[in-house]
Amino acid sequence: MSDLEIDRLSKRYGKLQVLTDCNLMAEGGSVVTLLGPSGCGKTTLLRSIAGFVEPDAGRVMVGGRDISMLPPNRREVAYVFQNYALFPHLTVAQNVAYGLTVRRRPRAEIARRVDEALGLVALSDFGGRYPKQMSGGQQQRVAIARALVLEPKVLLLDEPFNALDAQLRLTMQVELRKLIDRIGITSIFVTHDQAEAMILSDKVAVMHGGQIEQLAPPLQIYDRPSTSFVADFIGRANIMPVQVRAGRTDTPQPVPTPRPDGPAVMIVRPENFEVVPGNVAGWPGRIGFATALGATIEYEVDCGMPEALRVSMARAPGSGPLAQGTDVTLRLRSTDGAIVLGRGAAHV
Amino acid sequence: MTQSLFDRIGKAVLIGLACLSILLLVGPSLIVIAISFEPRGYIAFPPSGFSMHWYGEVFQNRQLMDAFLTSLRVAGLVMLVCLALGIPAAFAAIRGRFGGKSALNAFLLSPQMMPGMVIGIATLFFGAYFAWRQSDLMLVVSLSVFCLPFVVRIVMARLAALDPGLDEASANLGAGRAQTFFRITLPQLAPSAIAAAAFTFIEAFDNVTVALFTSDVRARPLPVELYYLVQFESTPMIAAISALQIGFSLIVLVILARTIGLDRIGR
Amino acid sequence: MSDVTLDALPPRRFSWRRRILEGGGLWPAVPALVYLAVFLVAPIVTLLGFGFVTLDRGQVADGSFTLEHMTGVLTDPLVWRLTWRSFWVAVVATTLTLFLAYPVAYAFSHLQGIWRTLLLVAIISPLLTSALVRAYAWIVILGGRRGLLNQTLLSTGIIDQPLQILNTSMAVLIGMTQIHLPFMILPLLAVLAERDRRFEEASLNLGAGQVATFFKVVVPMSLPGIVAGFALVFAVSYTNFIIPQLLGGGNYSTLAVQVYEQTIVVLDWSRGAALATLLLGSCFLMILLITAVGAHLTRWSEVPK
Repeated sequence: MSDLEIDRLSKRYGKLQVLTDCNLMAEGGSVVTLLGPSGCGKTTLLRSIAGFVEPDAGRVMVGGRDISMLPPNRREVAYVFQNYALFPHLTVAQNVAYGLTVRRRPRAEIARRVDEALGLVALSDFGGRYPKQMSGGQQQRVAIARALVLEPKVLLLDEPFNALDAQLRLTMQVELRKLIDRIGITSIFVTHDQAEAMILSDKVAVMHGGQIEQLAPPLQIYDRPSTSFVADFIGRANIMPVQVRAGRTDTPQPVPTPRPDGPAVMIVRPENFEVVPGNVAGWPGRIGFATALGATIEYEVDCGMPEALRVSMARAPGSGPLAQGTDVTLRLRSTDGAIVLGRGAAHV
Repeated sequence: MTQSLFDRIGKAVLIGLACLSILLLVGPSLIVIAISFEPRGYIAFPPSGFSMHWYGEVFQNRQLMDAFLTSLRVAGLVMLVCLALGIPAAFAAIRGRFGGKSALNAFLLSPQMMPGMVIGIATLFFGAYFAWRQSDLMLVVSLSVFCLPFVVRIVMARLAALDPGLDEASANLGAGRAQTFFRITLPQLAPSAIAAAAFTFIEAFDNVTVALFTSDVRARPLPVELYYLVQFESTPMIAAISALQIGFSLIVLVILARTIGLDRIGR
Repeated sequence: MSDVTLDALPPRRFSWRRRILEGGGLWPAVPALVYLAVFLVAPIVTLLGFGFVTLDRGQVADGSFTLEHMTGVLTDPLVWRLTWRSFWVAVVATTLTLFLAYPVAYAFSHLQGIWRTLLLVAIISPLLTSALVRAYAWIVILGGRRGLLNQTLLSTGIIDQPLQILNTSMAVLIGMTQIHLPFMILPLLAVLAERDRRFEEASLNLGAGQVATFFKVVVPMSLPGIVAGFALVFAVSYTNFIIPQLLGGGNYSTLAVQVYEQTIVVLDWSRGAALATLLLGSCFLMILLITAVGAHLTRWSEVPK
C-alpha cells in the first residue's frame, strides 16, 4: 500500500490561478475526499495526480517516488471518470482487458485477470455486452474493474456517483467503500456532496478557491472547522462577529477560547442552539420563520443581527412549532460546541 | 512530461501528413493566382512579371462575359427555386407528424445520391421525350433538383436544433400560429437559410457535371465555357478567370462567416 | 366531481376537414415532392427506360422494347476494362484521400483560435471554387516539359528527362485525391472535432501510449465518419468524368467518360443510357457494400439497450 503525497502543487491557466500550494497526504490504504463547490480546483488537483494536467510547480509522490515528470500512461494511478469513459466500441471484457492488452500481457493471463476483476464487481456474466447495454450502476462497476485490474498504486475517482440516481447512489457508495477496504488501495475521491464525503472518507480535504482549507477526518471537519468557509460548506452554521476579552467571548453566554484579545468570529451549529421561552441569559429574539421537518423543527430567529440565527431542535411527537412573532431566548446547549476563529479565517 | 520515442515519431508522421494535406488544399489555388499575373502569352511559375493583362482580356471577351451573365441569372433562379421548395419541405420533415416521415426525408435528400451527370442526362432525355430542348430553363430545373438537398439538409439541421418550447412559449404568450412563425421561428432560421442560399448559388454557378448536358448550346454558362477552354487551350487567361472565381468564393466565405459563423459551415 | 361525469366526457376528435387541412404537417413538403417526382423520378425512369428501347430522333419507336443495348454493353470487353479502371482509380483515390484527410481533421481538433479559423478556411474554400479551377491547376503543375513540376525538377537537377505524369492514371489519381479532399475532411471533422477527450485520457491512464491511443480509441470511435466520408468520396470519384478527361488526356477513358461521350459526342443515347445504368447500378452496389462493411465495423454504436 503506497502513500500518496502532494507537495506544494500550483497551477495557473492564463490569469486564473486554479491551484495554489496544495499539500495533501494520504496514508497507504486510506480514502481521502476532495470536497468543495464547483470551480474550487478539486478536479484539476485530481487530474494533476493522473498527469492530465501539467502543474506549474510542486510534486506528486506515490510510495515515496516522484511521478510528476511521468506521462499519464506510465503513472500507475487508476482514474475513474465522472461518466466512466467506457470505450463504446469495446465490450465490457475488452474494456477491462484494455490496460493489459496495451501492456502486451499473455492472452491467458489477460483472460484470467479480467475474469477476476469482473468477479470482484459481480459482473462475471456481462463480459460480452457493450457499455451502452449496461445500466448506470453496472457501468460504474465496469469502470472500477477496468481500473483495478491493473493493480494500480492509487485509485482516483472523479464524482463517480454523479451519474446515478439518489436511491442507487447510497448503495453504491457503501459497496465501493467496502471494496476499497477489502483491497486496501489508497483512494482519492472528488465530490461536491458532503454526505458522500462523510460516508466514504477517512479524511476530507475541503477545497476553496484553489486551496485546501482543511484536511481532517470527517467528524473533526464538522466539529472543528478551521475556517468559516469550511463551517458553512459542511453542514450549516451561524457565523457571528464577536470580541475576545481575557480568554472569553463577549457574548451573552461567554465561550472560553485560547485566542488573544480582539475581534473574532464565533460559529454555532443550528443544533447547538435551543429556543427557550422568557428572559434568561442568552440571545433574546423573535421567531421569524418556522419549518417543521418531521424529526426536527427549524427556526429562523431575529436577534437584531444582520442575519437571522438558525436553530434546529428535535421535535417531540405531536408537538408543533412556536408561532411567528413569539419572543424567545436562544441558548447554547454546549459552550464547547461553539467555535471561535480569528478574523483571518472568516471568509465565506 | 516526457513522451516515448515511438509516440514522438507517431506525432511527427501525423503532423507531416497534415502539412502535406494542407499544402495540397491551398497550394494549387495559390499557384493559379500567381500565374494569372503573367504578362506573357504562356504559363510560367513564378510569373515573369506582374501584369493585369489577362484580367483585361477576360473582361473584354464578349463570349465569356455573356457566359458569366447567363450563369449569374441561372444561379439566382436556382437559388430562389431551391429556397422556395426546400425551406417548407424541411419544416414538414422536422415538425410534421405523419406516417412515413423517414421515407419523406430520404426522398427529399435522394438527389444527393445521384451523380450530377446522371441528373443532367436524365433531364436531357426526359426533355427530349417532350421535344423540350436544352435551354436556360432546363438548366435551372436540373440544377435546382441537384441543389435542393443542400437547402433541405442545412435548414433541417437548424430546425432540429431549435427548441420547440420557444414556439409553445410564444403561443402561451398569446401569439397566433402565423405570428409565432414570423416572429419566433423564421428569425432563428435566417442564418441557415442564408448559408443554404449561398451554397446553392455557388454550386449552381460553378456546376459543370449537370450543366454540360442541359445548358443551351448557343448560350453556354460560364463553367461549361471554361470546361471547353481548359480542354483545348492553355493561356494565362484561364488562370485569370480561375483567380476571379477564387476571389469571388472567398468573398462569399467571408459573408458566410459573418452571418452564421465559420464553424457551422459544412455541417 | 363524480365518476359519472368523467365517463360522460366525449372523446376529443377533430373534424375531418381540419385533419386534412393540417395533414399532420405534410403540406409544406408537397411542392418539393411534386417537383422531385416530375423532374427527378420521371427523368431517371426515362433514363433507365432509354436503355431498353430503340430511339428515333429522341422519340421512342413503337413497340421497340429490346435488351440489345444492355447486352451490347455488358458483353463489351472494353466496357469491363473501363469499369475496372474506374473502380480501382476510385478506390485508390478514396484511400489516399482518407490518409490525407484524417491527419488534417485530427490536427484541426487540437488547434485553437486563429489557426483553427485559418485551417477551416483552407478546408472550406476549395469547396466553394469549381473543380475545373483545381483541375486546371493540376494541368499547369503536371503538364509537359513546361509544367511546374518538371520545370522545378529539371532546373534543380533531380531529373534530366521530363516526367510524363499528365495524361496518365497517375495524374487522374492526384487530381481526384486533391479535389475530393474537402469531402473527406468534413465528415471526419464532424466526428473528431467534438469528440469527448476523456476517452483518450482514460486510455492513457490505463497505460496506452499516444500512438496506441490513436489507433485503439480515436480511430475506431471515428469509424462512422470514416465510413460516411469513404462512401461519399468513392461515389464522386467513381462517377467523375471531368477529371479523367482533363487530366487523363484525350485517349484516356473510364466508364463515366464513356457515358458522357456516348450521350454528347456520339449521340448514341440508348448505349449512353445502358452505360449510365451500369454506372449507377455498380456505384450503388459498391456504396451498399461500403455501408454494410461500415455497419459491421460500427455495430457497437447500434446495439439495443
